[in-house]
Amino acid sequence: MDDLLTDFIAETRETLEALAGEIVAWEADPEDRARLDSIFRFVHTVKGSCGFLDLPRLQRLSHAAEDSLAEVRAGARAPDAALVSAVLAIIDRIGELNDALEANEMLPEGEEEFLIAALAPGAATEAPNVAKINVLPSTPPTRAVSRSIRLPVELLDRMMAGVSDMVLARNELSRLLRASDANSATDVAFERLSLCVGEMRDAITRTRMSRIDALFSALPRMVRDLAADLGKTVRLEIDGGDVELDREMIEMIRDPLTHIVRNALDHGIEKPDERRQAGKLEVGRLRIGARQSANQILIEVSDDGRGIDADRVVRKAISAGLVSSEQAAAMTWSRKLDLIFEPGLSTATEVTGISGRGVGMDVVRANIERIGGTVDIESNPGQGLRLSLRVPLTLTIIPALTVSAGGTHFAIPRSAIDELVRPKGEQVRIERIGGEMVAYIRGARLPVVDLSRFMGLSSNDEPPSLLVVLRAGGGERYALGVEAVHDHEELVVKPAAPALMASGVYAGTTLPDNSRPMLLLDVAGIAAAASVGITPSVVEERAVDRRKLKAALPTLLFHDLDGVTRGVRLALVERIEDVATASVVETGGGQLLPLNGRLTMLHSAATLPTSERLRVLRLSDGTAALAYAIDQVVDVVELTGEMTPAPVAGPIAGVLLHDGLPIEMLDPYWLFTNALTAPANEGSPLCLVADADDPWAREVLAPLLSAAGYRVAFAGEPTEDRISVVLTAGTAPEGIDAPVLRLRGTPEGAGDESIYRYDRDGLLRALNRHVAGGK
Amino acid sequence: MKGLYLIARIADETIALPATEIGSVVEVDQIATVPRVPPHVAGLFALRSRVLTVIDTRAALELGAIERSAVMTAIIVECDGHSYALLVDEVEDVIEADLPEPCPALLTASWRRAAKGTIRRGEDAILLVDPAILVAGAEPLAA
Repeated sequence: MDDLLTDFIAETRETLEALAGEIVAWEADPEDRARLDSIFRFVHTVKGSCGFLDLPRLQRLSHAAEDSLAEVRAGARAPDAALVSAVLAIIDRIGELNDALEANEMLPEGEEEFLIAALAPGAATEAPNVAKINVLPSTPPTRAVSRSIRLPVELLDRMMAGVSDMVLARNELSRLLRASDANSATDVAFERLSLCVGEMRDAITRTRMSRIDALFSALPRMVRDLAADLGKTVRLEIDGGDVELDREMIEMIRDPLTHIVRNALDHGIEKPDERRQAGKLEVGRLRIGARQSANQILIEVSDDGRGIDADRVVRKAISAGLVSSEQAAAMTWSRKLDLIFEPGLSTATEVTGISGRGVGMDVVRANIERIGGTVDIESNPGQGLRLSLRVPLTLTIIPALTVSAGGTHFAIPRSAIDELVRPKGEQVRIERIGGEMVAYIRGARLPVVDLSRFMGLSSNDEPPSLLVVLRAGGGERYALGVEAVHDHEELVVKPAAPALMASGVYAGTTLPDNSRPMLLLDVAGIAAAASVGITPSVVEERAVDRRKLKAALPTLLFHDLDGVTRGVRLALVERIEDVATASVVETGGGQLLPLNGRLTMLHSAATLPTSERLRVLRLSDGTAALAYAIDQVVDVVELTGEMTPAPVAGPIAGVLLHDGLPIEMLDPYWLFTNALTAPANEGSPLCLVADADDPWAREVLAPLLSAAGYRVAFAGEPTEDRISVVLTAGTAPEGIDAPVLRLRGTPEGAGDESIYRYDRDGLLRALNRHVAGGK
Repeated sequence: MKGLYLIARIADETIALPATEIGSVVEVDQIATVPRVPPHVAGLFALRSRVLTVIDTRAALELGAIERSAVMTAIIVECDGHSYALLVDEVEDVIEADLPEPCPALLTASWRRAAKGTIRRGEDAILLVDPAILVAGAEPLAA
């Protein structure tokens, strides 16, 4: 049954039981104002809930009773005995309907009309009849035994604490048992106990869980009302209401989610005529879904409205003085979009009563981050907006990493950790800038907070041996220097005392299995206390970082095939790979290399070496990829200084001086321009698929070939170009001067050169061989 | 009407705490220190599965610090939903006494803040201390 309905039934019954005494007292003294008020409150509450739950019969009854009682309260009517009986009859009837509702039965209709009629001022004479109806219930009371009870949360908390005690006692017992060489019978008994304790902990943890329906169930009504107010039509789709999460967590998400939904309706989804003009369905779509992924709950709210234009956000931010135009110019689209989470920014041109001035997205993010969650935004201007909230499953159990600094252990929430690095070598190192430590990690510079010094546990100025890269919220990152990393654990976290929380650097206390209390660090709090990445300077610092990056570009130095030392921007290098020299395919003056089943343009400064293996750099501009053949990698360095541009456009952009030696820098622009034209469809080798009528050939083989960079033609189709290879599972068509690649349907070899048709690698290799050999 | 009071010693002063606000008296051995907190927060202590915040009552009253030894005596109190272990120099007794009277004498600033009145034990007047004040610690200097 619907959770809300169950709640309603339980609540109504509880109130009815509590009200029983009041009713009798009111009957004895109809002038008693306090009794009248409590009965009025009851029918009023029932009326409200019924409207919400769509229970028209109950609503009619309670509404009628409420009206009469309101007249009495207003002094317009004297509470005579007839009225009292009529109201009491209605309350009894509400009780009966409530029971019927729970038992999922229907009571005969019609009787309510008598009851309601009896409320009328002139109906006094009918009062005895009312009583009669009441005395003759048409159905015997078959109250189903209630299977749900309401418990105070404190009781659940006490149970949880008790079970936690038991788990600790069990752990201690287990240690003692291991030390004492107890016999196996004891071990077996202990195992059983241990299992029971574990099951009990799970069960009690579940009592704190609730279906996310509790959060979603109020949305349809809200969306309906809001849409009606705004003159929009919206279809709401809700998905994943059966996902469970901590009750308290649900309460923490309620406000942010409501805010997001309001925003979507108010600013996102357009009015019907506007939607029609934009070529969309008049009915806007709002989708809210929840699902569990690992120990997080992902809640997505997406609409097909107008989305958010990041450039407009930036213009707003500039005019609000949040960023300067130079800073804005350096921002990526997603970073611009992130600005809507900055305090004091609204993109709505009109201020409305529904979602106000856009104050709130900053509050939404702050609220979600406070419970260890994250908010991501994806906007497709004109197409819609998607907000993803990720929150931990419970407030109390947090996956954490334990680290130590200055001899003290601390826990760090795993959700805040980007990576763990050891500052050794060129790629990851600690530099000093103005006396302060800065971590250089593969091209990015992050401020370093040394945990033991920050905590005042040591005054040692040595660079830390281990860095934990943390996300402090708002996209800002910093590196926390620690001495050691100990364990990944699921920790039960409790709020720390106010004196501890006031320090701003702790998120709670926890008690690991070793019974030594430990503190959970507040990652954003530490950033603020160490004054890294505090909000006003976020944008500023980023801009500074960018300038620094521009001044010193991380560059990969390598010996090229022609013996010259060249450099390429590290950011472009996806990986360094060794490939078989024989796999290189020569086509029309260019060279192609199969990488991951795709033909990639291979650039080389000289003829390829005759050795069996070839080392290539895989370069990527984000979408396109190309390979660059090299001799060997020399180093990764930071190149500073001015580049002297090359006089003519070509693979070399210019020359830089590094340690007094000239370094030729590759021109990625030129390389990619050429790479993109080379494997284009026109020049790619053409495969002829002989079995034109075979669905497998059309639906499975052809897409594979296209994906690998070949053009595909089917037998019987006219083709002008030279066919490089013919693929067939049966007979090859006559009169085509091209190598034939035979496919077979079984994995077992047929003794010929055929290839099993699902041997993807074998197939692509053979194609390569044939295409190269066919030249 | 009489009430029960726990009698303890803090910094050579005999004090009383209302027994209704006290969970238990325990011996505290291993305290996990907590950096970057006010001086009266001595650290954390695990009492079974509960994590208690240990309060140095001397420091809270700005009367120095409780001498650290291997085993110390602490009074467990609940305050705003959190459990605290108040480190004291000594716990003497639980007595029954009449309801507190106002403080008769002029007190030093820190005692004046913590004292809620006095109770009588025989001929002696004993300061009745509010545990919540001890938990809150030294008053921040007026800014």
